[in-house]
Amino acid sequence: MAYDTETARPDFARMTPEDLDTGPVPCAPYISPDWFELERERVFGRAWLCMGRVEQLPEPNSFITREVEICKALVLITRDKDDNIRAFHNVCSHRLNMLVTESSGKRSIFNCRYHNWTYRNNGDCTGIPDIKNFFGVDKKQCGLTPIHCDVWQGFIFINLQAEPEVTLREFLGPYAEAYEGFPYPFADNAYVIESNLNVNWKQIADAFAESYHVAAIHPATIGNTFASKSLNPFGRPLSGHAYGAHRVMCTFGNPDYVPPEDAHVERLAYSGMDTGNVLGGSDSKKLQDLANHPAANPTKRPNWGADVSWIFPNFNIDYGPGGFWTHEFWPTSVNSTRWILRVHVPEATSVRERIMQEHLACRFAEVMLEDVTNTQAQQRAMESGAKTHMHLQDGEMLIRHSNAVIRKWVESGSAREALDLD
Amino acid sequence: MTDKNILPAGFESLEPFVEYWAGETNDIRWDRRSRASMPDIQAFYDAMLARAEDAIQHLEQFPLGDMPPAEERLFCLTLSLVHASIAVELHEQPRAIDSPFPHGLHVTRGPWPHGGGMGQSA
Repeated sequence: MAYDTETARPDFARMTPEDLDTGPVPCAPYISPDWFELERERVFGRAWLCMGRVEQLPEPNSFITREVEICKALVLITRDKDDNIRAFHNVCSHRLNMLVTESSGKRSIFNCRYHNWTYRNNGDCTGIPDIKNFFGVDKKQCGLTPIHCDVWQGFIFINLQAEPEVTLREFLGPYAEAYEGFPYPFADNAYVIESNLNVNWKQIADAFAESYHVAAIHPATIGNTFASKSLNPFGRPLSGHAYGAHRVMCTFGNPDYVPPEDAHVERLAYSGMDTGNVLGGSDSKKLQDLANHPAANPTKRPNWGADVSWIFPNFNIDYGPGGFWTHEFWPTSVNSTRWILRVHVPEATSVRERIMQEHLACRFAEVMLEDVTNTQAQQRAMESGAKTHMHLQDGEMLIRHSNAVIRKWVESGSAREALDLD
Repeated sequence: MTDKNILPAGFESLEPFVEYWAGETNDIRWDRRSRASMPDIQAFYDAMLARAEDAIQHLEQFPLGDMPPAEERLFCLTLSLVHASIAVELHEQPRAIDSPFPHGLHVTRGPWPHGGGMGQSA
């Protein structure tokens, strides 16, 4: 794989936008209960939040349930027979029981297990047993409480405001413009890694938002793929971009990586496959379209590894030549987070391909473990109060940008103000 | 009693490894490798690697996801070789350096087949 001499030196253009303060960043938002409350109200209570993709409701009358713990929201998302996607609070109108207890399924009518009140998947209350014994209850007033819901390129978002101050499109802003028409290969198939972690949600989000740590934390797993001792020893990104409230980093990929001589199983797993990068691609049109899309590695520098696109506040759509994966970071307390990683892959069509996927999944899981292990120690160290500020380099722009946008939302009187829309 | 560990003809020498190493889901295989000692991992790795190419070629004769029980077991064993290789080829020890165990991460849905699926759907 050829590369030009310009990028052979890790001398890429500055990533940090000129309008972002480059001073030390306070750590209070990562450890302070007061900040957690502000984020509850001003960030998660006002932003559009990604719940998943439409393929997770694969058929008419499919449903899924989700939680936004920081807002104590229990969310039911339905697809009706006409393919309308809707969201509701998963709460029965009678005695406010949790209505649907399964995580997913297929049903057009839901019944509450407590007293058998029933609801259609468009939210209408369809049945109240012994209705005559109530004091003038009106079924039409007893439907499920809707949650504002919208879909962008197959990603389902909700907004917990009674009346969202901004539309989803306004919220995504320049990100949506840049990623218009972006393909999402294998969107209907993913393997999933999950955990509950003892870290603030931003701590773990930050861990996936810079490649500076690669040579140090991941020497065995991916140290030689997203960094290169000769070309880019510190794993500097190729470029970074702010898109309104959202942000993207384009990482370097080592063009010279081959599995070591004695990595017999790795070589076996990748026999016949392109080993240009541990997350390497295969020859299918959608992957070509992804790599060719203007938003993927927008400077189109060679030696491209992968892009991290971090949608404010807590959702990543990351992708490389082999496809995309998503991260969700759901705050459950100031120092605990529910994290879900979904890696989208094609369904294997051969034994060899399935073995390659196992290797990919294993390596990915080990990388995640390395990242996560460190952040739990980091959270404790941060909570010690020994230090109050972090020093971030240019390659850590995504972290700086995230902190700045969160601060803006916390300080703004409205989402419109936070997005500079009026 | 020994029926459940039987592998296809020609792979009998791997049968002692079946009970521990032929885990049916990603998460189980990950857990088993994480708990094993390095000598045990190395022994399995050496034995399985020697037959891996034969195993793949044997399994390729059957439809993916619909193989007889002995073949499915051989398939899970081969998938475990990948997990063992993480210890042998990557970490040179059973688990990632400085990583806690248990670590609380789970593959709640693995690639098909023999990935396992629980928790949230795709």
